[in-house]
Amino acid sequence: MKNKSSAKTAEARKKRLLSLLEQQGINIYDHLDKGKFPQFVIPSRSVSNIVYDKKIRQYILGNASAVRSSRNMSQLRSYTQLAWLAFFVNRLVREGKSSTLRDIYYSSQAFSIDFEDQPESDNIIVDLEAVLTSPREEFHIFPEERSSVFGDLTIEYTVPGYEGKRMNLSDHPDGYLIGPSLSSAELVDTSAELVIAIEKGGLFTRFVEEKVHKKFKAIIVDTAGQAPRSTRNLLRRLNNEMGLPVVILADGDVYGEHIAMVIKSGSANAAHLRELTVPDAKWLGVWATDIEKYKLPTIPMTESDIKRIYDLQKDPRYQEGNWKKQLEVFLKLKRKAELEAFSKYGLTNITDKYLPAKLEESKSF
Amino acid sequence: MSKEVFSQISPSEFFYRNRDLAGFSNPTRSLYTSVREFVENALDACDHKKILPDIHLSIKAVDPEQADPKHYILTVKDNGPGIDAEHIPLAFGTVLYGSKFGLKQARGMFGLGATMAILYGQITTNKPVTVKSCSDGKTLDEFVMLLDIQKNKPVIQKHTTKEGSKTGLAVSIVLEGDYSKAGSKIRDYVYQTSLITPYASITFEDPSGEKFHYARIVKDMPRPPTVIKPHPHGIDVETIRRMITDTHYQIPAIDNKMIDKVKKELSLKKNLSPKEILERAQKRWSDISKPVRTVISVMSFLNIDFEGLKKIRIDDLDVANKTITYWDFGESQSHAVELNPDSPYYKQLASTVQGDTLLTFLTKRFQRVGPTTAEKFCEFAKFKPDKRIGSMTNEELVKLADALQKFEEFLAPDPSCLAPLGEEPLSKGIMKFFNPEFAAVWQRNASAYSGFPFVVEMGIAYGGDIPPNGLKVYRFANRIPLLYDEGSDVVLKIVNETEWARYKIKGDPPLVVVSHICSTRIPYKTVGKENVADRPELERELKNALQYLARKLAVHMSRQGAADMAKKRANLYSKYVPLIAQFATELAGKKKEPNYNQLIRMGSEIEEQV
Repeated sequence: MKNKSSAKTAEARKKRLLSLLEQQGINIYDHLDKGKFPQFVIPSRSVSNIVYDKKIRQYILGNASAVRSSRNMSQLRSYTQLAWLAFFVNRLVREGKSSTLRDIYYSSQAFSIDFEDQPESDNIIVDLEAVLTSPREEFHIFPEERSSVFGDLTIEYTVPGYEGKRMNLSDHPDGYLIGPSLSSAELVDTSAELVIAIEKGGLFTRFVEEKVHKKFKAIIVDTAGQAPRSTRNLLRRLNNEMGLPVVILADGDVYGEHIAMVIKSGSANAAHLRELTVPDAKWLGVWATDIEKYKLPTIPMTESDIKRIYDLQKDPRYQEGNWKKQLEVFLKLKRKAELEAFSKYGLTNITDKYLPAKLEESKSF
Repeated sequence: MSKEVFSQISPSEFFYRNRDLAGFSNPTRSLYTSVREFVENALDACDHKKILPDIHLSIKAVDPEQADPKHYILTVKDNGPGIDAEHIPLAFGTVLYGSKFGLKQARGMFGLGATMAILYGQITTNKPVTVKSCSDGKTLDEFVMLLDIQKNKPVIQKHTTKEGSKTGLAVSIVLEGDYSKAGSKIRDYVYQTSLITPYASITFEDPSGEKFHYARIVKDMPRPPTVIKPHPHGIDVETIRRMITDTHYQIPAIDNKMIDKVKKELSLKKNLSPKEILERAQKRWSDISKPVRTVISVMSFLNIDFEGLKKIRIDDLDVANKTITYWDFGESQSHAVELNPDSPYYKQLASTVQGDTLLTFLTKRFQRVGPTTAEKFCEFAKFKPDKRIGSMTNEELVKLADALQKFEEFLAPDPSCLAPLGEEPLSKGIMKFFNPEFAAVWQRNASAYSGFPFVVEMGIAYGGDIPPNGLKVYRFANRIPLLYDEGSDVVLKIVNETEWARYKIKGDPPLVVVSHICSTRIPYKTVGKENVADRPELERELKNALQYLARKLAVHMSRQGAADMAKKRANLYSKYVPLIAQFATELAGKKKEPNYNQLIRMGSEIEEQV
């Protein structure tokens, strides 16, 4: 069941990015040549400019933007840093090389651009994401964090040296790292009908062992806690390009609920980016109401857990429906249950009983 | 039961026993205090006669080989008016002899300190003081003398007179001191005195023979202070009591001279009986003088003749109890006679001793009190304006003193008794001493606390020859440097409370603050007179002065900052623009770099936009 409705394949996205970078370059070049001070217009990421868009169901940036001008002496340094990053990303993408956030911090020193520390260079990377409205993964810049994927999915590499090479992601039982080469690969083919994102590596292994991918015709993704951007991007592409529904299993606590929410509608931190959400993704559990329903062993919430509930109750996305209801029940219980809690009823209880029941239940919401 | 012995001690003996109070607690402090007392006396004397001071100070060890503390010869020579030969023994040989009892600003009070130094020298070395004085420009008198501590009297050992050419005074004493410890303070003292006395030339020769010379910087003397009457707010009960005593009329001494005067005014040729004398006086009452009227009144009450009058002494006339007390020399005993208030002579006697009315007393004896203010005050204090001040009881005096403090409609104290240095001399002194990159001075208008007028003048200097060791404060009061007890001083408190960062001053700045407080009474915290108390009125004036000067400094700093900024700006654009050009060229896919030189030039020229 192959679906390539989206035009934005990896190659297309690369072309779009290189063209944006060239435009910036020409703009700066012309300014300098005419004796004018070049500047970048950066959408403002201040809290007051982050709004929730109900239509596209994610946080987006408002209309406010900041100008970083080379005319202003106090901005000249960070302006140059941003120009350098555009220049450096251009090289990375053209040469098909990837880099970590830390690499960027060190690479700058070869060009007399010194960042005081890595947070400063990380910030400039986010600035460039905002200017070009593209996630850093497209710049071939990756964080250290990695998560994994397993299931019947054929991909075709685009990274240098592997161009055109195909690979099926069900060949290795530990799963495949969602790294730069997988992120930039074309999605070719799959027989799966479902994507299950699961919060924990231990459960991911259990699911593979229990052949969940076969029983439920599923691709299994380990988010390793809060899903990294490259993982969210992959989930989105599986949903968009391959037409697969995405369901999410996380711990039965407020953080688990929010992991599901971020996959579905993004985070405030990445409000300047659009390609990272799966608006139709479904949160299977573990719900607060499941804790009682399935008689799961619980542990008491900490004070910070409870504070987090109060914080999320102010978030516009938690104002209605099941999201709101589950927060309230969590607050009432003041106890939480991990995914592993199902082991009390046998190691396969979660795959044999809980998962089918919830999948059935999910058809109605 | 043990018998207590009471004995009177002389002022000299009192000071001898309490020398710690006057700053003579140990050889180090004593040497420093002695220098101060003599130098300040010399400067005061010159100021008084408007002579540009030339002061020579020298300290020589009697035996340089000996270890400290040891005997030193301290000599201070000035070009002042000198002192008449006849006054020298008393001026330098007794404690509490002086001319500085008026109310005006002066460095020392009463000239006590110099005598204390002489006394200290004598008790530590048993050597006499040598005073050389020329007050007329012709004769030079030299006295060598000791102090008789018990009798508070000078003992002259030698007096010679020579030909002199210039007026001036030189005092030389031998005392026990510790120059190794006091030296740095004494050098600081001389340095700072020169700063606040730029019209003086001061030379100091230390025990090693090294000379420190501070030349005269300005040639104009500051306006001298005038002596003024006290302000009502600065008065206590004791002061009022003294003012009343020397105001009201005393019963005149009845001696032969007085009796002759009475006889003359009454045209008495032969001896008449008291009754006949009174009759004669009655007839001529309006023509005879006040003292004569008083004598006649006394005769009437005591009922005695002239011969009898000569044998008695009127001791007290107590108006409140209506009695007159006298001492009879013949009988060697005291008599008290009751006065008949109905007698016409009673009124005469009473008014004689009761003195002025309160209204007159207030307007005559205090500064800036006119009849209108005096009347308002009487109403406020609930006294009758025609109340005789001599008839006031103790309770009434306390009430009066209290009311004088509390009445708020008196005019502010008269500052004409103050002698600030002035902005120009202060500024010149600061320029000469510190050669700063920036300096500003300000003299505030006169203000007052508790009836004592004061003026604050302040200077600030930055950069130049001032070392970048952090803020240094020079404190002066009545042209005297204050060197000790800096920590608890009000000036330092104000300086430390200032947020210097607001005035663009950071780190350890090359910064000097010079503060000069002038007042008829500096509110010192301790008897050592080295730190000034934080009176709110004084604090406000100091704060205003410092803020004004700091703002001026801030303007200078921003100008300086702007120049530095332009330089920094030029550097930044030369560094970053070529980099931007390099990146843009590759991004845009061009071969040749854009022409960016124009932009570097523009970048360094733009005004800072904050």
